[in-house]
Amino acid sequence: MIIQIAWKNVWRNKTRSLIVILSVAVGVFAGVFAMAAMNSSVVQRIDAAVNEELSHIQVNNREFRSSSDIRDLIQGFNEVDSLMRSLPGVNSTTGRIIIRGIASTSAKSAGVEINGIDVEKEKEMFSLHKKVIPGTGSYFESETKFNSVLIGEKLAKELNIIRYILTPEAVAHLDSLKIPSVVLSKLDPVYGERFTSDKKFNRELEKLLTPNEIKKYSIQIKEAAWSYREGAKLILTFLDKDNNQTGAGFRVCGIFRTNNDMFEGMSVFVPAGELRALTGMEEGTWHRLIARLDNNDLTDELTEPARKAIPSYEVLNWKEIQPDLAMIADFMGQIYGIFMAIILAALAFGIVNTMLMAVLERTKELGMLTAIGMNRKKIFSMIMFESIFLSIVGGFAGMGIAGAVIALTAKNGINLMKYSEGMEAFGYSAHLFPTIDAQFFITTTILIVLTGILSSVYPARKALKLNPIEAIRTE
Amino acid sequence: MISKKSILLMQGFFMLLIWLPAGAQQLSATEIVKKTDDKFKGEQSGYSVMTMTIVRPSWQRSVEFKSWSKDNDYALTLITAPAREKGQTFLKRKTEMWSWNPAINRLVKLPPSMMSQGWMGSDYTNDDILRESSVVDDYTHSIEGSETVDGRDCWKIKLLAKDDADVLWGYQVWWIDKKEFITLKAELYDEDGYLVRTEKASELKIMDGRNIPTLIELVPAENEGYKTILRIIEIKFNIKVEESFFSQQNMKTIR
Amino acid sequence: MKDFQLAWRNIWRNKRRTLITAASIFFAVFFALVMRSFQLGTYDSMYQNVIESYTGYIQIQHQDYIEEPILDNCFVADPEMIKKVESDPNVADVVPRLESYALAASGSRTQGVMVLGVDPEKEEKLSGMKERLVKFKLTDTAIGSLKLSDIPDRTKRLLDLFRNEAYSSTGRMMLDLGISTEDSADVLPVLRRYASFTNEYLSGSVPEGVLIGSGLSAFLKINVGDTLVLMGQGYHATSAAGNFIVAGIIKLPTPDIDKRIVYMPLETARDLYAAHGLATSAVLSMRDINDKAINATANRLRSLVSLPLAVRTWQEINALLLNQMEADNRSGMIMIGILYLVIAFGVFGTVLMMMAERRREFGMLVSIGMQKRKLAKVVTIEMLLMGLLGVISGIIASLPLVIYGHVRPLRFTGEFARMYEDYGMEPIMPTLLPDTYYLWQTVVVMIIISIAIIFSIRKIFRINVINSLKA
Repeated sequence: MIIQIAWKNVWRNKTRSLIVILSVAVGVFAGVFAMAAMNSSVVQRIDAAVNEELSHIQVNNREFRSSSDIRDLIQGFNEVDSLMRSLPGVNSTTGRIIIRGIASTSAKSAGVEINGIDVEKEKEMFSLHKKVIPGTGSYFESETKFNSVLIGEKLAKELNIIRYILTPEAVAHLDSLKIPSVVLSKLDPVYGERFTSDKKFNRELEKLLTPNEIKKYSIQIKEAAWSYREGAKLILTFLDKDNNQTGAGFRVCGIFRTNNDMFEGMSVFVPAGELRALTGMEEGTWHRLIARLDNNDLTDELTEPARKAIPSYEVLNWKEIQPDLAMIADFMGQIYGIFMAIILAALAFGIVNTMLMAVLERTKELGMLTAIGMNRKKIFSMIMFESIFLSIVGGFAGMGIAGAVIALTAKNGINLMKYSEGMEAFGYSAHLFPTIDAQFFITTTILIVLTGILSSVYPARKALKLNPIEAIRTE
Repeated sequence: MISKKSILLMQGFFMLLIWLPAGAQQLSATEIVKKTDDKFKGEQSGYSVMTMTIVRPSWQRSVEFKSWSKDNDYALTLITAPAREKGQTFLKRKTEMWSWNPAINRLVKLPPSMMSQGWMGSDYTNDDILRESSVVDDYTHSIEGSETVDGRDCWKIKLLAKDDADVLWGYQVWWIDKKEFITLKAELYDEDGYLVRTEKASELKIMDGRNIPTLIELVPAENEGYKTILRIIEIKFNIKVEESFFSQQNMKTIR
Repeated sequence: MKDFQLAWRNIWRNKRRTLITAASIFFAVFFALVMRSFQLGTYDSMYQNVIESYTGYIQIQHQDYIEEPILDNCFVADPEMIKKVESDPNVADVVPRLESYALAASGSRTQGVMVLGVDPEKEEKLSGMKERLVKFKLTDTAIGSLKLSDIPDRTKRLLDLFRNEAYSSTGRMMLDLGISTEDSADVLPVLRRYASFTNEYLSGSVPEGVLIGSGLSAFLKINVGDTLVLMGQGYHATSAAGNFIVAGIIKLPTPDIDKRIVYMPLETARDLYAAHGLATSAVLSMRDINDKAINATANRLRSLVSLPLAVRTWQEINALLLNQMEADNRSGMIMIGILYLVIAFGVFGTVLMMMAERRREFGMLVSIGMQKRKLAKVVTIEMLLMGLLGVISGIIASLPLVIYGHVRPLRFTGEFARMYEDYGMEPIMPTLLPDTYYLWQTVVVMIIISIAIIFSIRKIFRINVINSLKA
């Protein structure tokens, strides 16, 4: 009975109810969406690290990570491999040869880490093959008699393999994108000129175009001018197993793009067989064993067993290899906690005020109810129920909006291109795809609804203290 | 590759083995290149004294050194001036280079990371010195015509790097003196077809019985006002020197 | 004036109502200020740490150095010029550096390294190098002794995992070895006994003494007292070569740098690279580090310093950091925006309810002849007064919290704190003392109040006297 009255009361004063509902809805939406955005950034980074760079567990010779010496191998790789595979939860394994060397083109050279890989196995374990920029080749698919190497975009730019040229085709393409011809003609002086770096190209653009034009069109111009010399040649130089210098010419079979500048600049991939031929390393010898688990959550529980099973080598999981990654998730949790605390406090006070004012407004009504015999407890419950309804409706509304917005942005993502430079230097994507797991969603909503309810206690109690005689007489 | 050729000059290699018959025009491009290349590689051993001047827009510096070399594989170079560098030696054995510095009493083998650096700060890289690519085998050749360089009649020959060759250059253009089979000018291009370096040889003089260019200039295309100039002061061919001469021990004691 | 008096009396006529309305504004201002204060304070402290520990706020360099940071782009460290710069009111110190590359060799191992020639005392004041000296190292002997001691088993088991690991602070070591703050009182002394590492800082009196990164020490297998050989190219293509003694080992948090860093006295570096009297950068230590002061100082210095020198601010030197800061700031602003949304609803709700409560009153006034316009005016003044009350009380209430948060900042605990320490940053979340942001937040709140006022006015003009009297 009280409940029905409460429900009807809620809809009686639409404005007031709407305000409270909206407050709660906004609170839920804000909390959930903000968390989703922040969360996604971290989740993406961890995903990328695990799926493109590190995988779950690595086994190395104890000296290897500090010495980088080609002779610090995993002896008896096959036994170590089968020991690892025997653990439940290990999905697949592969080996890698890892050698420090120099990659050079006629213009430049750069220090790199050369990874000799088992191409087929790596395709199962890592998603790097999906990151090859379309049009730059493939993940070792093409049959070729030359040595092949897969390099990252950052390295390709450093070595002048990727450069910016406004070729006639590029200009035509820009024209078809409806770039105003006035802008295109301003670019005339640099047609056909080759720019070996982002910075140099940007500088020329700044000289020729107005800041406004740069803001609007520079991204498209750069994309059109981005060009790559197919099958470019580079020379990899390194030391063989007898510490003699060796090397050979390699053809770039593809260029990959991840969001991690450091990874793109340092890591190159070569079929293991080619490296063996050049270094004299024997068949079946590797520097590192990499294991992929059935899923990420098994990482912690499987590390110790792996260590016990393979005592003579260094066994590390990705959290130990890159501890700052593991901590970022923690950090996000803390930040979120603080943020939500403040939002909830603000929400609480807002609701208290609104409800208090509402009680004041309904003084006459409440006084009347008391006078006709409704007891205090019932009045209290009535007001509380009203708040409960308002909070729940608001909560659901908020969830609905949050869910919709997340779904919407999840598809196309939020593109923070302006900050991509800074973010990608640390390996974070500047293109956010908000995601949130159900637990967070529900926890947040419950917290907020609770806040709504609790903040109504004080106003409800105030309502009880009204003197019915005075109340009726109030204007 | 012409840079190799210049290095060989530095190491004091020289040969004038082949006498050309009058009908030199009938030679194919490859033959011309081979003859030119042989001319500089053929000498078994040599000794030279040279100065190298590094020219930059705001400064320049000169280094003097003596070099001994044998075949194509061994060379020992001793820096004789200026005072700070005096006494440093470099040893090349096949594809390895070692350096000795008396100031630190230390023998170091040059690692891959130093290969692309300039030798003694010049525009010649350590890589240029060590790399073993064959200008005959790693390229295809074609005669583009005849031109005059420094008043001398030359073939203009294009050397296009072969696909499977371990060379960084896309192609090179050489101007080879028709009489002497000396490359008077060379332009080196990267794979995109952009000029990276120009090399010029001039001041032909007779030394130890042969007519050789005594002034070689290396001009990188990218930077304004950068140049490396090599001048041959003295040169001797077919000296008596054993392989054992090119040793780490000798690096420390040679004067 | 009459209107004002009327408004004033109205406000105090119904204290409860006034206080509730003012309270909603009070909370809005309070929360906005506190949150923004924390945000700005945290960014400030984080970035301050990063900037101060390496690039500094302002540097003097050769004009070409910023594009091409090579040794040849160095400048003459003219004592006259330095004195002039030092005399600037905001410059506390001028710290010269000579940076270049070299090949480090030991035995048959070589490694490309970055050599930093510094003035030992000045550099220590600027970037706290002594903090970075390794204090503990888990050598085989140390681990052996530790395993026999009475430290917790959990720690003993973790010892093997961190064999040969070097630590410059207890924080990281405690994290790695699973030592909790409760245990630390017992465990740390034991560690100090067995795993201490003797180290010395640079001093000008031992010119060939250098500091190397712990990663470099591990890679080249050299320790304190061993010889380090450095070779490379000096100024204007001269040869650089020298033997040095390892005086101390430092640990930097970024492994890549830790493996490649060598510090030496400035004069020693100048000898090595034949760069007498030259420097690649002069880092200026500032007294007042807020943005305005820095820019003002930079401008003053630009007129003192002539070509080919250039005065560079940290934004130019570390554009990447700037980009990250802006990203951070943006996300912070979005959070504040969300807060405002929530706050705004609180204010609207309260005001709306207030208007509803006074319907009868307004109806009465209009029916006895008060013009709606006058009523609107009076109500506006009332609301402005309540708003003012709320704003002022909000500001005053925020001050103690903000000041406290600045003087005794919130401290992070646990793993995250240790990571901060690793990077040489204090794991704190300080607040920023009142600044222009106080003004901005107040402006936003005033805008919210204004919107509420506008809605209220509209309601007034729509008053239907009969209906309102029946309320």
